[in-house]
Amino acid sequence: MITDRDIGPWYLLAGIVALWCGALFGVIGSWQHVLPGVVDAIPFVKSRPLHVSLVIAWIFLAAVGGVYHYLPQLAGVPLHSKRLAQLHWVIFMGTGCAVIVSYSMGRFGGREYWEFPPVLGIPIALGWLLFAYNFFRTVASRKGPWPVYLWMWSTGVAFFLITYAEANLYLFPDFNGNLVRELTVQWKAYGALTGSWNMLVYGTALVVMERSTGNTAPALSRTAFLLFALGFTNLLFGWAHHIYPVPSAPWLRLLAYGISMTEWLILARMIRLWRATLKEGMDKRHSLTHRFLFASEVWVFLNLGLALLISIPAVNLFTHGTHITVAHAMGSTIGINTSILFASVFFISGGAINARARWGFWLMNGSLVLFWLCLIGAGSVKGYLTVTTDLPFQPIMERVWPFLAGFAIAGIGLFTGLTFLAWEAVRLLCTRGGAGTGAAALHP
Amino acid sequence: MFHAGHRRIIFFGLVGLFIVQSVFTWTTATAVNDPDAEYDASAHRGAELYRDFNCTACHQFYGSGGYMGPDLTNVTIEADKGAAYARGIILSGTQRMPALGLTPQQADDLVAYLKAASASGRYPIRSMDLTPWGTYRQLHTDDH
Repeated sequence: MITDRDIGPWYLLAGIVALWCGALFGVIGSWQHVLPGVVDAIPFVKSRPLHVSLVIAWIFLAAVGGVYHYLPQLAGVPLHSKRLAQLHWVIFMGTGCAVIVSYSMGRFGGREYWEFPPVLGIPIALGWLLFAYNFFRTVASRKGPWPVYLWMWSTGVAFFLITYAEANLYLFPDFNGNLVRELTVQWKAYGALTGSWNMLVYGTALVVMERSTGNTAPALSRTAFLLFALGFTNLLFGWAHHIYPVPSAPWLRLLAYGISMTEWLILARMIRLWRATLKEGMDKRHSLTHRFLFASEVWVFLNLGLALLISIPAVNLFTHGTHITVAHAMGSTIGINTSILFASVFFISGGAINARARWGFWLMNGSLVLFWLCLIGAGSVKGYLTVTTDLPFQPIMERVWPFLAGFAIAGIGLFTGLTFLAWEAVRLLCTRGGAGTGAAALHP
Repeated sequence: MFHAGHRRIIFFGLVGLFIVQSVFTWTTATAVNDPDAEYDASAHRGAELYRDFNCTACHQFYGSGGYMGPDLTNVTIEADKGAAYARGIILSGTQRMPALGLTPQQADDLVAYLKAASASGRYPIRSMDLTPWGTYRQLHTDDH
């Protein structure tokens, strides 16, 4: 019999499978940069969208699965409709398979990220509407003030729909009449869409922290809401820092510059609190969940620092259109989002540190450091040579090649670490479902 | 200090500003100065072909896209390239880029799309005309 706690693990399991497959295609894609012609049966034009769509599916499946799992506990009532949650899962799986089949047949959406034939966006939107309805009907029953993570989840749920609709406006000729509009609207939608899934993921981090410590005060604090307001403002208005070179109206890009620079406040706060963060990380290092939460803090610091630097237009002149952008994207989705979601997965499934988990954790994070640094190196060379010389593309890429080789080698280590962690997570979820110590140890 | 009611006002106030910004983004803020940058029917077909063949997996416009191949923003006006060069590569491919099996008409449509891209602005920006606020001169104008 399906219970409220059973639904979340279905999503988590599917997410882990998507992560592993997405990582595999990522390894293939990385080696196709280094050794042209490798795995020709899956050309780069297919391996890239396969990688991107599957890893984004992991983020959404793990985040949504966490929401379905935690929400009844947080609202104090059962999920409004178990059937709708099951239906959402079926739609997600069916659409995911259709996306993979479309790629294999050479049918693409042709947008830069998370793309597929537009008609497949209809079931995705429909499934999300079911999720949104279920979420808001359930959370409406909660008594008392909302902790910040409910505000974050609500924002993520609502804004996914808004930004996803906007990402498909290009299908109408009025929104696709020139390249400036085409790129600007695309990045407005994608930038805010990323912010939407970050709201779900970071909200999940706060829930896991609260549930694992029993301390409900942080999620109701003024600081938490100020940080949420900062993040929300950046979601709404910061997206144009992705497209400084595109000649849209200057106020749009300068507004994004100003909004983006407000996140120095977050970095300053992290620096101010680093001793307490480090002590807490060391005290709780025997908990697999807290290891991943601590790792995510470290990656937030590194990627936020990088993001703030490349959001300064004078620096962005060199870094835009280079692998430094990839370093930021992958450092965030792997180092931050995946770490938080693994923390949630192991909290729900009751994961403890064993040899496999330890190897997986260190291989993942150690490889990711090398991976990240090689991308920054590749981007630095590409950016410097592009801006300061007249060298054509191919000679520049020859000079970048050693960094790409390092990145591809590190990718194998990263994939191996993710494999160990995925194996451990699947084992736990299949044997214990959502009955892990974390889920069972509810604090009043 | 901020009660639930205040939070809702701030939240929906920001959403209201977002809606206003969105309307401007979809319209006047992304209008182009050069009429050649507007897509005609051929360029629209070319844009669709660019999506159908997932060219963005390898190529970029204004630095956005994949990094397997070069940026195409100004390929039709670059000194050692041009429209005929682009058309030749589209039809025959290169060592790393496969021949896509396009017809001459489809190649012409893609070239029309690339010409419109070239007319929209210049990339990369090579002159470092920096300001004290961390910006550069071209960021303060929509005329590149």
